[in-house]
Amino acid sequence: MTLPVIGFAGLTHLGLVSAVGTASKGFRVVGYDADGARVRDITAGRLPVVEPGLDDMAKEFGQNLSYTDRLTDLTACDIVYVATDVPTNDRGESDLSSIARLIEGVIPALGPKSLLVVLCQVPPGFTRRLPLPAERLYYQVETLVFGRAVERATQPERFIIGCADPQRPLPAPYQVLLGAFGCPLLPMRYESAELAKIAINCCLVASVSVANTLAELSEGIGADWSEIAPALKLDRRIGAYSYLSPGLGIAGGNLERDLATVLRLSEATGSEASVIAAFVRNSRHRKDWVLRIAHREVLARKRDATFGVLGLAYKENTHSTKNSPSLGLIEHLKAWPVRVYDPVVPASAAPHPSVTAAVSPLDAARGADAVMIMTPWPQFRELSPADLAKAMAGRIVIDPFRVLDTAAVESVGLSHFVLGRAANGSAD
Amino acid sequence: MLEHLNGQPQKPRRVVIIGAGGFVGGAVREQLKSDGVPVLALTRAELDLNAEGAAAKLGSQLDADDSVVFVSAVAPARNTALLMQNLRMAEAVTRGLAARLPAHVVYISSDAVYADDANPVTEQSCCQPSSMHGMMHATRELMLRSDVKAPLAMLRPSLLYGARDPHNGYGPNRFRRLAEKSEAITLFGEGEEQRDHVFIDDVARLVALVLAHRSRGTFNIATGVSTSFREIAEKAVSMAGGRSDVRGTPRQNPITHRHFDITNCLKAFPQFRYTPLDEGMARARQSGASS
Repeated sequence: MTLPVIGFAGLTHLGLVSAVGTASKGFRVVGYDADGARVRDITAGRLPVVEPGLDDMAKEFGQNLSYTDRLTDLTACDIVYVATDVPTNDRGESDLSSIARLIEGVIPALGPKSLLVVLCQVPPGFTRRLPLPAERLYYQVETLVFGRAVERATQPERFIIGCADPQRPLPAPYQVLLGAFGCPLLPMRYESAELAKIAINCCLVASVSVANTLAELSEGIGADWSEIAPALKLDRRIGAYSYLSPGLGIAGGNLERDLATVLRLSEATGSEASVIAAFVRNSRHRKDWVLRIAHREVLARKRDATFGVLGLAYKENTHSTKNSPSLGLIEHLKAWPVRVYDPVVPASAAPHPSVTAAVSPLDAARGADAVMIMTPWPQFRELSPADLAKAMAGRIVIDPFRVLDTAAVESVGLSHFVLGRAANGSAD
Repeated sequence: MLEHLNGQPQKPRRVVIIGAGGFVGGAVREQLKSDGVPVLALTRAELDLNAEGAAAKLGSQLDADDSVVFVSAVAPARNTALLMQNLRMAEAVTRGLAARLPAHVVYISSDAVYADDANPVTEQSCCQPSSMHGMMHATRELMLRSDVKAPLAMLRPSLLYGARDPHNGYGPNRFRRLAEKSEAITLFGEGEEQRDHVFIDDVARLVALVLAHRSRGTFNIATGVSTSFREIAEKAVSMAGGRSDVRGTPRQNPITHRHFDITNCLKAFPQFRYTPLDEGMARARQSGASS
């Protein structure tokens, strides 16, 4: 059969990456966004999101891609994905008003037999309520990861499809599309698929929370979590790809959203979800790890300290700063001079009245009593500890993600503070 | 967590201390005096909260732009009678404050409001007092929240020590006094329990900061460093010249520890530094010797 034409409504991170990924499989793709300026930028090759490999892939498969700000251009599509990012508030709750508006506009523009697939993160119960015949309405779980989105979009592990009737075969065009990715298909009822997305994230959070809890304990008892985690990954019940790297709490927005959703639904249904509340509490506690080290190791000894902060994004290879630990840290260092550097995020994103924008990582370290490596950008791994020591005024390197090698850092007389292991020379 | 209504600290126009004659109230009074803040110090002599008409008497002394520190209590509240007496005192205060609403109210509560197993304790920890004393403070907090419409700060100190502490409770104060007299210090078990001990001057400094920022919300007063009772006993002996014995006893109860996560303090008052235990004990010893 002729390959179906695929539409993506909403060209934020999710929609744009998914559109380019689908085009790479040979499908003709129409990307729609109401924001004309955004559409013009994307058409001109100026992509509004940072993802490794995205720009190149968009160029390579550009002949399959067209972008528009006219809803009527979606009418020719056999399948239209609603793929906008759903914003969250400070409590991690989704604001569904933008997706509701988008769907309200898209449905009248659909061709008479076109399918609508909700790809965004929505709470259980959302899809079934949409005003479209059940045989044309689907929900599909997205599992993009910031910084690895292209890989996730083009090589998914499986497709989880929410349907009105999971026993009924999927429509032919949809089967053709999904079949191009060569992975298992798991049809299930809408609510199961919507909850499956949340379940995946809860499992990830559980792993990370275990790692964070035991990494902190490791710091207290002289163990090193980095020695323990590989042993766990060799246990088949835990798994080689499990999330066992300790971090600064949960960031990015999507995981927090799912925890908030589970808490809300559990409260409404009376199910016991205190473990989820504990994940949230642990995350809140871990977010301030660097601040606590900075006070204990630096400010307790020198009241007029200066700081260098490397990285503002919430993780490497992304421009996103949603719930970024780095911004959270800087907000509480307003009383001291701070120099910042991030390869992508501008210094103006830092919530500090007089932050200095550095032109390089070493420039951020210049004259600092302590350097905090808050985002594990690959280029920070290239930093020479000797150069760092020369640039700094003090001796403290707070490097939660172990971007630098401890032995190399300590060999030039710096103290290296990492998650999961007490530093030599710590004030503790 | 505290919210500062004054972005920049401002000297309060006048601070009314209810309970200015006590250990904490006296320290707050001295701190404010040295900061040049006008103070109306109400001890039991000026305002007996158990007396008839206490609420009206309090109300008549308040101005709308006053800040009030409520620290008066019959502590520790070990039994029902003391619990009820303390609640009646709080009732008089809430009625007095309702009669003449001040600009800011600071209540000195206690970490006894938290569940015993809340480790590490934060301001978000569950309030589930296991003692009459903790229940007294938790109830007083609720009374104030319910009845007082002014911005309200609940300060929950951990264990306090200082030269003028009238209580001779198990810990730095008693150990110091015993060590000074070269008497033996007897520990529960081997004194393994770790607690967070706060020097009284730090409480006074923090109360002054809360007043200057007109802060509202809940705030723990704890150093973030917990120390075993044995270590404190040995410090006290060492400071006094090392003549006392530190003796363990057969353990009667399981060992429990209490640790605090003081991140909220780092955020609320980034430049504040707690007095380290060694320094605080030395200063308490010095003050004790000179008083």
